[in-house]
Order: sequence, then C-alpha cells, then structure tokens
Amino acid sequence: MERSSGYTRILMRTCLLAVAGAAASVMGGLPVSAADEVNQERLLNVDKEPGNWLHHHQNYSAHRFSTLKEVNRDNVKNLKVAWTMHLGGIEGGGIWSHGGLEGTPIAENGFLYVTDGWGSVYKIDAHGGRGALVWKMDPKTDRDWAGAVACCGVDNRGVALWGDLVISHTLDGRLIATNKQTGQVAWQRTVADPDKGEVITGAPLIVKNMAITGVAGAEYGIRGWIAATDLATQKEVWRTHTIPAKGEPGSDTWKDSNNAAAAGGGSTWVTGTYDPATDTIIWGTGNPGPDWDNAYRPGDNLYTDSSLALDATTGKIKWHYQHTPNDPYDYDSVAENVLVDIPGPSGPRKLALEADRNGFAYAIDRTTGKFIWGLPFVKKVTWTKGLDAETGKPIEYDPNKPVQTYVASVTPSRTNMETDICPGNMGGKNWPPTAYNPDLKLWYIPVIESCNRIKVEVATPEKLKPREFWTGGGPSQPFTITGSVTAIDVTTGKIAGKLETPFPNLGGMLATPDLVFTGQPSGEVMALDAKSLQKLWEFNTGGGVNAPPMTFTVDGKQYVAILVGLGGAWDKWFIDSTPELKKIQPGSMLYVFSL
Amino acid sequence: MMIFSKLVAGVLLVSVAALNFSMLASAYGQSAQAPASDPTNAGKAVFSRANCVGCHKWHGNGGGGYGGDALSLRKTEMSRDQIIETVGCGRPGTGMPFFTRGAYDEVKCHGMNRQDAGAQMPPEGGTFLRPKDIEAVADYVIAHIKGAGEPTYAECVTFFSSTSRVCDVYKAQEQKPDQANASTGKSQ
Repeated sequence: MERSSGYTRILMRTCLLAVAGAAASVMGGLPVSAADEVNQERLLNVDKEPGNWLHHHQNYSAHRFSTLKEVNRDNVKNLKVAWTMHLGGIEGGGIWSHGGLEGTPIAENGFLYVTDGWGSVYKIDAHGGRGALVWKMDPKTDRDWAGAVACCGVDNRGVALWGDLVISHTLDGRLIATNKQTGQVAWQRTVADPDKGEVITGAPLIVKNMAITGVAGAEYGIRGWIAATDLATQKEVWRTHTIPAKGEPGSDTWKDSNNAAAAGGGSTWVTGTYDPATDTIIWGTGNPGPDWDNAYRPGDNLYTDSSLALDATTGKIKWHYQHTPNDPYDYDSVAENVLVDIPGPSGPRKLALEADRNGFAYAIDRTTGKFIWGLPFVKKVTWTKGLDAETGKPIEYDPNKPVQTYVASVTPSRTNMETDICPGNMGGKNWPPTAYNPDLKLWYIPVIESCNRIKVEVATPEKLKPREFWTGGGPSQPFTITGSVTAIDVTTGKIAGKLETPFPNLGGMLATPDLVFTGQPSGEVMALDAKSLQKLWEFNTGGGVNAPPMTFTVDGKQYVAILVGLGGAWDKWFIDSTPELKKIQPGSMLYVFSL
Repeated sequence: MMIFSKLVAGVLLVSVAALNFSMLASAYGQSAQAPASDPTNAGKAVFSRANCVGCHKWHGNGGGGYGGDALSLRKTEMSRDQIIETVGCGRPGTGMPFFTRGAYDEVKCHGMNRQDAGAQMPPEGGTFLRPKDIEAVADYVIAHIKGAGEPTYAECVTFFSSTSRVCDVYKAQEQKPDQANASTGKSQ
C-alpha cells in the first residue's frame, strides 16, 4: 500500500520537477522521464538542484555546504522538530553489543535515503511535513562474521544514487544496488572479504559509471585498497592497493624482513572526492599495521597515512602526500580531502584540504601533490614540535632513519613501551566530516581535543592471525577528552575561530551561507554563527549524535536532518575518557527540523 | 510477525542497555547454545550475556587492539577460585570489569573498597552476575577454554551453531595449515 502510493508520488513529482526544471532551465536537455534518474551530469552539477543532497559529501569537492537560506542566522532560533522516525539496526554482533548511526542522509526530490549500522537502507517520503517509510532493504548482513572484525563499530555511513538504483555497502563486504522505486535488490557484488579482516563502513562514491569502494581493517592485518565497480556491467574496473606490491614504486619503504607490507594496513574507509577537471579521485589512507610497533615495519610505509590522487579511469596513482611516515601513533589520514580553489600569488590555487588524525590541517596543491601550508587545529600536540615549512613533514622526520621517533620522549616505541600522546589515537579529527563555506572561505573541523595512553606490545610474525587484532599494543583512556569546532581561514591557513565543547565532536559539520550545524555525543544538535561560531540554537535529541547533519527542501520548504544513535568506536573503546557518555543509551532515530 | 519480533528485540535491548559501553550482553543475533547435555551450558550463556566475548572473543584468546590486551583465557593458569574472584572483582588497573553487585562497596575485593582502589578501580560490568552465574562461567571457561590451544572449526561451530560465516576461516586454516597466516594481500 505504502509502496504504491510512494510510487505514484514519485511519478507526480517527476512531472512537476521536470516542468519546473525546464522553466528554469535547470534540467535542460534531460528527457522528462529521466528527472529522477541520477547521472554524471547531475552529480557534476548539484548546485543546480540546491534542494537535493545527492552526494555523501554534498558535492564532489566534499564541501558539505548548502546554499539554502530559508533557515538563517536571524530565524534559526525558531528551528524545531518537524518529524522523527525510529529506525532499526542497533542489534549486536561479533565483538559489538549494539550498532549506531554514522550516516549522512541522501535527499532527492523529497525522498530521503538513509542507512543503519548493519546496512539496511530506508527510503522515506518526506512530503507533507512528515516522514513515511516507503521501503526498507535489509541486506541481512552476517553480523557475527563482520562484527568480529570491525575494529570500530557497527557502522554504515550512507548510500549513493545512480540511475534508478540506490547504491550501498554492507559491513560484510558487499556492494548492493537496490531499485529506487521498489526497494528490491537489483544486484549485489562481493567487494571485500571479512575472512581477511576486511569490512566496509564508508558510503560509495559514484564517478561516471563506477561505484568507488574503500575498505576498513588496518587493525586486522589487511593490505588496503580502493576499488571501482562498473555499475552497468557489475564488474571490477580497477583495484588499486594502497601498499605497493614487491618491486612496485614505494615498496622500498617497507624495509623489514617480516613481509610487513602484505599485512601493512593503509585502509580507505572514508569516502573520497573527485576533481572532474583532471579526472582525479583523491582519497585518504589509514594507518600502517601493526599500529603501535613501528620497529616491526621500518621505512616510511607508503602509502599509509597519505592523501592519494588516482586517475579515475585507470586507478593509477598520480601523486601521494604522506603525513606521518612510519606512523607509531595510529594517526590515519583517511579523512576526506576537501577540494577548494582560492586566489594565489600566481593565479588560482587548486587545493586539497585534509584535517589529519595527527592534529594538523594540511593544504596540498592537488595538481602536483606539493605541500602548501599546515597548522595544528587541536589545542595540544606533543608528538612533534611542528611541520617543516617547506615539505610539511614533521620537523623531526629523518628520511635516513628506518624507524622514526619524532619527539622520542612521548613516542610509543620498543624502548618507550607506555606513553601518553596528544592527540590521542582517535586523532584530532576522525571520520566525522568537515564543511567548507566557499563564500567566507572558512573550513569547519569537528575536533576531538585529546590525549591518551599507548601501551606497546612487540609484534612478531607468529602473532599475525586471520581475523585477529594486529595492533602491536593498545590504548587506554586516563584523561578526560573534550572537543571543539575549529574554523580555518583557507586564504591564510590560520585558525579563524574555535568553539570549545564539553565532548569530542563525533558527528561532523554542515555549512550554510551564514550558519554551521553540528552535534554532540551527549545529544545536542546545534547551529552556530558561520563567522563567530557563537551558538544560536540548540536542541537535545536525548540520544548521542554520532552522524553529520545535512539539509534539503521539500515543496520549497527547508529541512535539516540528522541521524542520532551513539555507536562506533567511542562507545566501546574510548568511553572512559568521557564518563558522562556512559549514560547515553543505544538508539536509532532520524530527526528532521524546520522553521 | 517479522516486524513484531524485531520490535520486541529492540525494546529488550534498550531496556537492558549498557551502563558501561560494551559490557552489555551481545547475545542477540547469535545463538550460544551448547548441546543440552553439556553441564556448562549455563556458563556459556553467561559468557555471551555478560559480553565476555566483547574483549576475550568467542574463543577466549582475547588479543590486543583498541581495548588494550584482554588476556587469553586459553593460556590462563588461573584456578577456578581465581577466575571466580577475577570475574566478581575485575582486575584493578586494567579494563577487566567487575561483575558482582556491590563489589568494592559492601563486598571488599582484593582487600580494598572503592576509596582504597582509587584510580586502580576497575570498570563496572554492563550487567551484574549472581554468584551462581559467576561460578557457571568459570566452569565453562575451565571445561571449554582453559588450556584448549588454538581455536578450531569444531569449537567455533559449537559456539555459534548458526549459519554465520564466522567459522569459515578456521575450516580454511585446517585445510591449508601452511597458509595459516593472515591475509597475504593478494588482489582478488
């Protein structure tokens, strides 16, 4: 019943949109029947349909910026709950007692597409000021299989749209295409293998006719990769390993005799970005393994902890920029690279911005992969005294040293077996996404202001076992951890503002012309002034915010949506640093706000 | 019917939700029943319900990782009484929680109360266990885990008795013992 009414509405909306679109030459050239089909043209031109949110990161550049301004600085104080919807997916599995919500909703023509932690996809009709479930696709994820090798929670960060399909991932390694109208699975393909410790938590990135998939598992001895699947033929187009095979360029940065590279990590679990001008995918890579025993893997360990630029057509690596060579801290660089163009001394500068777990924000020239600027965005960094102004490498970095020690007194090593590091190993910023306001040239980072304690355990080849942790030690949480929203002026590479928060930011950011939205794991969703970061509005959801906000319109009215349900790594491994959050109950709920 | 049973499960989960991160029973969605004749069935249920599996894993070998190193129960040399004390009182200065209601308050543990333990105070389990439950889980650990060597396929399917692929890796290892190490990283 619901399904057919949803379908009718889709058809109706299609006609309306097509008519309106043609009048405003928004959809010019597209046949009327294709208005609800997502193609590369629409994905490249999301600015022409500001009421929709078609990409995981809003656009190919990961700006997470909406031009919608019905909700603005003057009236945001009147924002209130329009409707909510309870979702599922909090069941446990493997080492996890419950799931959580980390996804970004996708919005198209008044319909939302969201996921829960186990990868169920919900299509929700948001017309008429309320939400109605159109369908739910439950992929029946193998919970014990996948949950036992998910280091950091029962997580799924959302879907993508292509053609008449909803494209999603499951924790147990599948890429699934679901018919947008019916909710029936059109096809699925196994991309990652939990038997090797591989799981998938990120949303797919659609580039041309391909779904790009990243993988998690650097705590379980995987060798990371990024894979492209042709959505028309369902065949793999390319798979680029983030750790070179023997003899390939970069393989000489693994100087051990343990064959550490074969289990060297370099996972890719955060959705990357795409620069159509150069047909380049830019994607971050994670930590080397074992995480904390870097003497097991002497050398720089390319391409871990790097930003990688790949030819989108072939998957070939065009350039790389490594942030923490021979990382002994678990300072992933998986974060999204935000693509920004700003005026420079000799013409426009094409930048890739990345807020690294190591506590530094970087601007890289995305044409050449060369360092432009970098600065700490957290209050406390102890592992290095700073970045080299020319190269951006930590100043203690010595390319001739097989095992880096950085500030040796705090760095985990075989001679410093228990030590405190700042930022802690969850990093200054983890997966929660940044947002960028292109008018103000301000970049908003969701920050974890932290230190924690690392205990090193010497790794040996016999300890490497399938589906078992491969970390060379572990963290503990003797210190209270807080957070902030930190704004960086991209034209100067300087901090423009910092709003400190009682808890780490585990959700991420949304920017609109004069506002910034974010949340706290203690339950609050808030709107800040885009320039001053002054808090203008707040609502307590009564759950833990562990996902980023987004915004869209239905019938011309603006809504702000956010998934609420604390899960992920924090809830299990890091909760002792935020004891108050032990009160937060597992939950699974979509909140939608409007004026 | 399907929707109804999911709803019930959801309500149950919320109503017993964890006070302390992962210490909640993770039994939902995984069957943990041993053959009915096994006298340690009750202890096996506690092993899942009290979320021992969250850190020690189903096989009890523990391992490093983000929670630090949960000790291997397979390699433990602890006696039944020592296991009972450790479950009840936790391990001071580590992440091993205590599962006895009132431990370090009415019930002194290792000769200490909460004040004596101070910063060494272990975390509180997500569920409290009665003395009978603690004895049962200790009996299960001694009968099925302590001294058991490396986990096997047979043990795994006995533990899960489900259709999950969680045990496949052990089957593969037994078939190809020389390739027992983790992922070779070969392209698929």
